[in-house]
Amino acid sequence: MWDEYLFPASVEEALEMLEAHGGEARIIAGGTDLVLQSQRGQCLAKVMVDITRIAGLDHIEERDGLIYIGARVTHGQVAASPLICSRAGVLAEACGSVGGAQIRNVGTLVGNVVNALPAADGAIALFALDAEAEVAERTGRRWTPISTLYAGVGLCTVDPCAAMITQLRFRALGKGEAGAFERLAKRRALVLPILNAAAVVGLQGDKVAKARIAIGPVAPTPFIAAEAAEALVGRIPHEASVTEAAKLAAQAAQPRDSLLRGSAEYRKAMVEVLVRRALWRAVEAASLQEGEDGNS
Amino acid sequence: MSKKVVGESVPKIDAATKVRGQRKFPQDFNMKGQLYAKVVWSEYPHARVLKIDVSPAEALPGVVAILTSEDVPVNEYGIDIVDQPVLVGEGEKVRWLGDRIAIVIAESERIAQEARQLVRVEYEPLPGVSDPREAMKPDAPLIHEERGDSNILKYIKIRKGDIEKGFAEADVVIESYYLTPHVEHAYMQPEAGVGYIDKEGRVTVIAAAQWSHDDLHQISQMLDLPIDQLREIVPAIGGAFGGREDMYIQHLLALCAYCVRQPVKMVFDREESVMRTGKRHPYYIRYRTGATRDGKLTAVEIELISDAGAYASTSIPVLSNTASFAAGPYVVPNAKVDAYTVYTNNAVAMAMRGFGSTQPAFAYEMQMNKLAEALGVDPVELRMKNLLEDGSIALTGNPMPTGVGIKETLRQSALAAGWKEENGGWIKPDLGPPSAPYRRRGIGVACGYKNVGYSFGFDDKSKVIVELALDESGEIARALVKLGASDQGMGAHTALAQIAAEALGVDYEKVRVALVDTSMVPNAGSCSASRHVYMSGNAVIRACQEVLRKREAALRDEIGEKRVVGEYEYRGRSVRPTTPYDPETGMCDPHISYGYATQIALLEVDVETGETEVLKVWAAQDVGKAINPEMVKGQAGGGVHMGLGYALTEEFIQKEGLVKTRRFSEYHIPTVADMSREFIPLIVEVPDPTGPFGAKGVGEMTTLPTAPAIISAIHDAVGVWIDNLPATAEKVWRAMQGRA
Amino acid sequence: MVTLKMILNGQEVSVDVEPGDLLADVFRDKLGLIGTKISSGEGECGACTVLVDGKAVDSCIYPAIKVQGREVITIEGLGQDNRLDAIQQAFVDKTAPQCGYCVPGMVISAKALLDENPHPTRKEIEKRISGNLCRCTGYYQIIEAIELAAERLAGKGGLE
Repeated sequence: MWDEYLFPASVEEALEMLEAHGGEARIIAGGTDLVLQSQRGQCLAKVMVDITRIAGLDHIEERDGLIYIGARVTHGQVAASPLICSRAGVLAEACGSVGGAQIRNVGTLVGNVVNALPAADGAIALFALDAEAEVAERTGRRWTPISTLYAGVGLCTVDPCAAMITQLRFRALGKGEAGAFERLAKRRALVLPILNAAAVVGLQGDKVAKARIAIGPVAPTPFIAAEAAEALVGRIPHEASVTEAAKLAAQAAQPRDSLLRGSAEYRKAMVEVLVRRALWRAVEAASLQEGEDGNS
Repeated sequence: MSKKVVGESVPKIDAATKVRGQRKFPQDFNMKGQLYAKVVWSEYPHARVLKIDVSPAEALPGVVAILTSEDVPVNEYGIDIVDQPVLVGEGEKVRWLGDRIAIVIAESERIAQEARQLVRVEYEPLPGVSDPREAMKPDAPLIHEERGDSNILKYIKIRKGDIEKGFAEADVVIESYYLTPHVEHAYMQPEAGVGYIDKEGRVTVIAAAQWSHDDLHQISQMLDLPIDQLREIVPAIGGAFGGREDMYIQHLLALCAYCVRQPVKMVFDREESVMRTGKRHPYYIRYRTGATRDGKLTAVEIELISDAGAYASTSIPVLSNTASFAAGPYVVPNAKVDAYTVYTNNAVAMAMRGFGSTQPAFAYEMQMNKLAEALGVDPVELRMKNLLEDGSIALTGNPMPTGVGIKETLRQSALAAGWKEENGGWIKPDLGPPSAPYRRRGIGVACGYKNVGYSFGFDDKSKVIVELALDESGEIARALVKLGASDQGMGAHTALAQIAAEALGVDYEKVRVALVDTSMVPNAGSCSASRHVYMSGNAVIRACQEVLRKREAALRDEIGEKRVVGEYEYRGRSVRPTTPYDPETGMCDPHISYGYATQIALLEVDVETGETEVLKVWAAQDVGKAINPEMVKGQAGGGVHMGLGYALTEEFIQKEGLVKTRRFSEYHIPTVADMSREFIPLIVEVPDPTGPFGAKGVGEMTTLPTAPAIISAIHDAVGVWIDNLPATAEKVWRAMQGRA
Repeated sequence: MVTLKMILNGQEVSVDVEPGDLLADVFRDKLGLIGTKISSGEGECGACTVLVDGKAVDSCIYPAIKVQGREVITIEGLGQDNRLDAIQQAFVDKTAPQCGYCVPGMVISAKALLDENPHPTRKEIEKRISGNLCRCTGYYQIIEAIELAAERLAGKGGLE
């Protein structure tokens, strides 16, 4: 385990602490992954810089059509947020499926992203929402698409010993837009997924104007089924077109045989099922949205 | 004057301390000056130990001692067959990952953890065997070459009637091959305890144990010390389910205390508990069942092979149990049973809830449901035609003793689940529409039965002491029941206190049950075989009668005695002697008493993913007499939990003796979300006149029918039979695709 | 060594901890509070559940130092010497505790729920204890106990 545990009062102070310890210090939020990694010798940092007491990192708010989520926000807070439930329901679903209540109370969404595992439920939804992350370094802050954070299994391009992510943002779902999250696992709670899928669709009239499908774990990083989503755009989302898109997603996904998760064959077949169900629910919810508002 | 306590759901005797978190479990004990111990485990499933170098570990500051095989006075033990080393020394073999090389004792847990990583062991890996069917072959590597030239530990055969005639009479024959896997007990409290030398100079162990007196016996042999120089104290136990019947930590704590003469505390982490301790026996079962067109069983031919793992543990008694229950709770006139238990380099297989009756229950109930389908007969109706009754001749040729309530459990659960009975015929209920277009509903029935008490001629007994404290007028102020019976959580102590209260005619609140401390309480036998209510309950009643007689005498003689003591040792063979298997025919009178259960599961299967959601479970258990009805329901709930895990979520993965599912994050017991949405427990009371108030046993019976009921319901829903557990979503999906 | 100051079960408590200490170990090894149990050791079973500022957390993977200045409730903080807390009493009355090892964590999870939501549906109860494993009961009597506690706390059950 580590030798020092620090509570910076600001992002700047956190970055200073990281720099001062020259690679021996790293950022910690809830610690639900890091504590275990440290115990198992997979995380060698000797100094922990805890960001959970920094003011200004605990927001879930909407500004100019964008939803911002701070680095301190837990999965539980995301799942319970009325704003997220109404304007980004797919993310609430995803965060609500992580671990058990205790894990959701402590583990942060940003922490989940930084942990960079391909099956992370929250991250899959963020990919479907085309989210961006704000990276804070000594040189300043910048926004970057979430996909740029993933270098491989467990590898984040942001070095937690030198920088931190301060918040996430994505466009709130509006009229005619909705998302859905599907998950397959070995039991119904407190378990990592065999497979998860998030779909976000936007309808214009009776046709799909935009679609985004994210799937995990079928690759070293969260997987965007671009071809499948593209195949839906401009079409009426009936059973046939949705199924076709789901099939394309399954074709593109390349899961491997896993002793604990199941065979590649099964998981590939399940990609079609989960994507189809996620798309279908998203389409239904998006149609309702349109109907309620009266005009498209 | 006599108050009714038996049959009431009184508050459990230890419930208040448990909800406060005050009740101490073995890891909650700390002694002044205690040291901390950690085990150095084998790194190979089968290897010769060439060299052990403890010096790098010894050099670490804070390390007090490192024990190796040389420190063990008699380096062998075993609950039945003495085939297990305490610590494996240079030149000797490790046979599974649970073998121990050394024990590091240090001033802190952290130092002990660090030090054990520094012990250097050189191994010569040996070819191993991880499938008992391979291990049975003549050219298989021998696990215990010192015991002979075969890995077959035991073979039992039963030959009843005329098997060829039986199959000739059959109109329908069902043949299947079943696989039941290893199961992890997954008790919530990991192995832990403290070993120390008490004020009387006794080597003393505080640990969770199912049979403390027998532990002392084994420790006495290991340390070459007389039993009166040993002591075991059993505080609260955080679940056992058979997993604490063998010693996994008691002897290690005793050895540490013996060697360093200071208190030593040891706690296993979950990974050690899962990887390095015993599991339920896997069974490979080939089953042929013959029946007539109108649903009468004519013959069964069964081959059962169990994977004993690296050491015998209780594989032989488990196999004996298995064979006796192989045909199920049915009248079967002709039977051929061949049962084997075989050494491998897999995890040691040991007692687990059911003790060898769980695995055949899966097989025989699946057979019955397949038979029902083949015959076009309702599964309840088919069973009613064949189930045992009082006096029916069982598989082993003995008449069943009074109290065979299995039909009643089936009747009550079927009616509760919506079956209609009409003129001896049974009609399955309408299941209603599924909750989604991609789901199908199914319902499945299964029965199970199991022995109460030890079997095959074993002299099962329980000794109890009852002490009364009398007030000035000679009335009973308090009663103390003393016996070496562990309460693993099911409420044995509560039930016995209730029995004592009623037998003494006092308020339940006046009765206490003593802490299990071998230096203070007599041997009541093991907490297993669902036996304590029956065996110890009978002993308690008679000890109470004895102490009441003594009290009367004391009052009559006006001695002014304030404390009166009575004792009684109840022996099963005094009411029902049991006999061992005839070596050629397998005929015997195997068991003292029995418990019976039926469960019905209603579920939905997602036809696209293969996932199963259990909606309702009806669980009827015939307990003879429910001493505490809510406790019986608790056993039903827990049994269903274990059975549901067996059927759907629990997969213990071991490849070539290497365990892959090492923690709770990898070995999945059901969460609350996995349990049935509704649970309807039904208490059935068909008394055994030899039981205390007619009571039999319940703890294990409630886990027998769950898996076959669920798997059969899956078939009812989507038309596939899953013959090997668990029925994971992928397995069901494959079967539905025809790609099994 | 760092001095950790927290409000533990309503009292100000000071204890010296290492930066790497985990909260469950601090309770059990430094404060003599053995009610919080360790089972999975990896945040996978909830036996170690305690409340930090009213939120249920797995204390076996929670760095102790995180509770600096915070309010913490462990099982020892419920009930009084002569009386059980409503949730504890309901567990006893519904015969919920079997081996008892999961019980402190279950009771604490139930407390977090009822403090936040006094009228939970069965589904909400299940969701809240889905991070608490039990091997003895099948959870049925535990759910009944929490439902009974909710009823009683709301004044409908006749007690409290």
